[in-house]
Amino acid sequence: MARVSVAWSNLMHERTRLIVAIAGVSFAVVLIFMNLGFMGALISTATNFYEQFNAELFLISPETLEISTSTAFPRERIYQVAGVDGVERIMPLYSEYLLWRNPETGVSRGIFVYGINPNDPVFLMPELQGTEARRILSRPDTAFIDRLSRPEFGPQEIGTTTEADRRRITIGGTYFLGGGFAADGTLIMSDQNFIRYLEPRPLSLINVGLVKLKLGVSPEKVAATMRALLPADVNVYTKAGIIEHDSAYWLESTSIGFIFSMGVVVSFIVGAVIVYQILFTDIRDHLPEYATMKAMGYRSQYLFKIVLQEAIFLAVLGYIPGLAAALGLYHLTATATAGTLPVAMNGGRVIFVLGLTLLMCSLSGLISVRKAVTADPAEIF
Amino acid sequence: MFKTQPQSTLDSSRDDLAVQIQHLNYFFGVGDLSKQVLFDISLELPKGQIVILTGPSGSGKTTLLTLAGALRRLQDGSLRVLGKELVGLGDRALVNVRRNIGFIFQAHNLFESLTASQNVEMAVELTGKFASKREQSVTMLSALGLADRVDYKPKSLSGGQKQRVAIARALVNHPKLILADEPTAALDKKSGRDVVTYLHNLSRQEGCTVLMVTHDNRILDVADRIINLVDGRLESDSTPNDFVQHKTQEALTEVSADMFIM
Repeated sequence: MARVSVAWSNLMHERTRLIVAIAGVSFAVVLIFMNLGFMGALISTATNFYEQFNAELFLISPETLEISTSTAFPRERIYQVAGVDGVERIMPLYSEYLLWRNPETGVSRGIFVYGINPNDPVFLMPELQGTEARRILSRPDTAFIDRLSRPEFGPQEIGTTTEADRRRITIGGTYFLGGGFAADGTLIMSDQNFIRYLEPRPLSLINVGLVKLKLGVSPEKVAATMRALLPADVNVYTKAGIIEHDSAYWLESTSIGFIFSMGVVVSFIVGAVIVYQILFTDIRDHLPEYATMKAMGYRSQYLFKIVLQEAIFLAVLGYIPGLAAALGLYHLTATATAGTLPVAMNGGRVIFVLGLTLLMCSLSGLISVRKAVTADPAEIF
Repeated sequence: MFKTQPQSTLDSSRDDLAVQIQHLNYFFGVGDLSKQVLFDISLELPKGQIVILTGPSGSGKTTLLTLAGALRRLQDGSLRVLGKELVGLGDRALVNVRRNIGFIFQAHNLFESLTASQNVEMAVELTGKFASKREQSVTMLSALGLADRVDYKPKSLSGGQKQRVAIARALVNHPKLILADEPTAALDKKSGRDVVTYLHNLSRQEGCTVLMVTHDNRILDVADRIINLVDGRLESDSTPNDFVQHKTQEALTEVSADMFIM
C-alpha cells in the first residue's frame, strides 16, 4: 500500500485555500506568459520584414547593428561568393534614410529607403512581382511606398508627387512590408534612383548582400563555405541567424528586454509571495500535527518533503489553468490588434515558464518550510 | 559521549527496567539565564508498571516526561530508556529512540485532512510495514471501539473518539513505553475511564510501561505507583493501596520507595 500522502490530503482538505492558491499561481503564470508574449511579439515585429526577403543568406558588415544602422561594405564580397556551390543568385541591397515630405502638411520626415536592382527579385511582396512592377520601378524619380508607413507621411495613392531630399518623387506603387522598430515608413526604389537621391553614395558599396540558394541546398553548409572564403569585413547569416542578430540588438540596446524581463521578475515574486503565504498558513495551522509527527519519530526531512510536495502540487495545478488562460489571451491579443502584435506561444516558452513556476513554488516552499522544521515536539506536551 | 558518564551507570543498567534515571539535572536556557528545573532525579520504572506523575504546575513533570520521551537533548546525569542511554545523544539518535515510544498528548493532534485510519497508518509507516498498515490500523482502532469509524475524518468524530484515535496511533506499533500527558483531561468520565482501562489492560497483557502525567483523581486507582514532583524534586514515591495485591512488583517498589523519598 502506498504512503499516506499528507501533502495531497492537506491541500485537498482546505478547498477554499486550495482554490485561492491555484488562482494565485495561475495569475502569476499568466502574467509571466503575457510579459514573455509581448516581448516576443515586439521583437518579432522588429524583425518580421526579413520574412519578405527572397534570400536564404545575408551578408552584412560586422559593424552593422541592425538593418537600419548598417555600415556599407564592398560589393565585391557578394561576387566573391557568387560561384559557391548551391548559390542561385546574388543580389545587392542598398539602404539609407531619406527625408520624405508630406505633400499635404509640408512636413518632412525620415523614411527608410531600400535600393534594389529592378531586375532582382529581392522581395516576395506580390505587388513587386512581374514585368509591369519592374518597369515602373525603373522609371526615374519613382518609388514604391509601404502601405504600413505611418500616416504622418501623407497620402499613399499611386501618382502622388512630393519631394524627397528636395528632389521631386512620384509614388509608382505600393506594398505591405512594415519598418520594424527603426523605420516609421519604407520606400523601395531602383538602385539608379537610389544613387540619384543619395548622392554621393557609390553603387560599389552595399549595405546587405542577399544570396538566393538553389532548392534543397542547406543554408548552414553554404554559409560555412562562404565564411571560409570571405575576409573579416563581412559576416554571413542565415535568415534565422540575421533575425536572431537583430532581435539581440533590440533586446539589449532598448528597454524592451529590460521592461518585460522586469515584468517577469515581478510576476515571479508575486507568485512566490502568494504561494509562500498559502504554505506558511498551512504549516502554521498544522504545527501541532507536525510536532506530533516528529515526536512519533519522523525526521525533519520528511516534513521538508511534505511542504515541498505541496509546493510542487500547487505549481502544477496552477500552471495548467495559467497556460490555458495565456493561450486564450494570446489569441485575444493577436485578434484585437489585427495581427500587428503577433503574440504566439512556442514550445520553448511553455517549458521555460513551467520550469519557472516550479522554481517559484519550490522557493516559497523552502522559505516556509523552516517554520515546520522548527516545530518542537517538546512544546506540545 | 559515554565516557563522561560515571562507571556506575553502565554497571547498574538492568534489563527489567523500562526507564532508569540517575542523578538527572536539567536546565532551561544557557549561561547566566539558565534555570534549573529538575534537581538530582533518580527513578526506576520497571517494565509493566503504570506510574502516575503528579505535582503542582511548574514542578517539572512535563519536562521529565519529554526527557524520558527523547524529545529534548540532555547533558547531565543518566537517563536510560528501554536500555538506551539518552544523555549526550544527538538529534538523529533521539529520533530513533522515539520510534519505540508511544506518545499520548492532551490534545489529540490528528491531521484533520486524514481519516482516522490514515492517521494511525502514519505511525505504522515508520516501521516500514506498508503491506499490513491498513490491517494493523483497523485492528487497533477496533480494539479501542472505533471499528465503525475507521474511515471518518476527525471532524466527524467526538472528542472521546478523537482521543481514542490518537491513542490508537500511539499504541499501534506496540511500544514498550507509553508516555501520556493528561490523556483524560479532554474526556468525559466514561471515555476517560475507558481509555485508562485500556492502558491498564495493555500494560498487564503486553508488559508495557506507562508513565502518565495527570491531575485526574478519578483514575489514580489504576496506578501501580504515584510519584509526586514538587519544584523539580521528587517529593514522594508512594504505592496506592491496591498495588499491595500485585505481588510481582512488591519488593522492588518498596526498595524504590525507600530510595527515592526525599
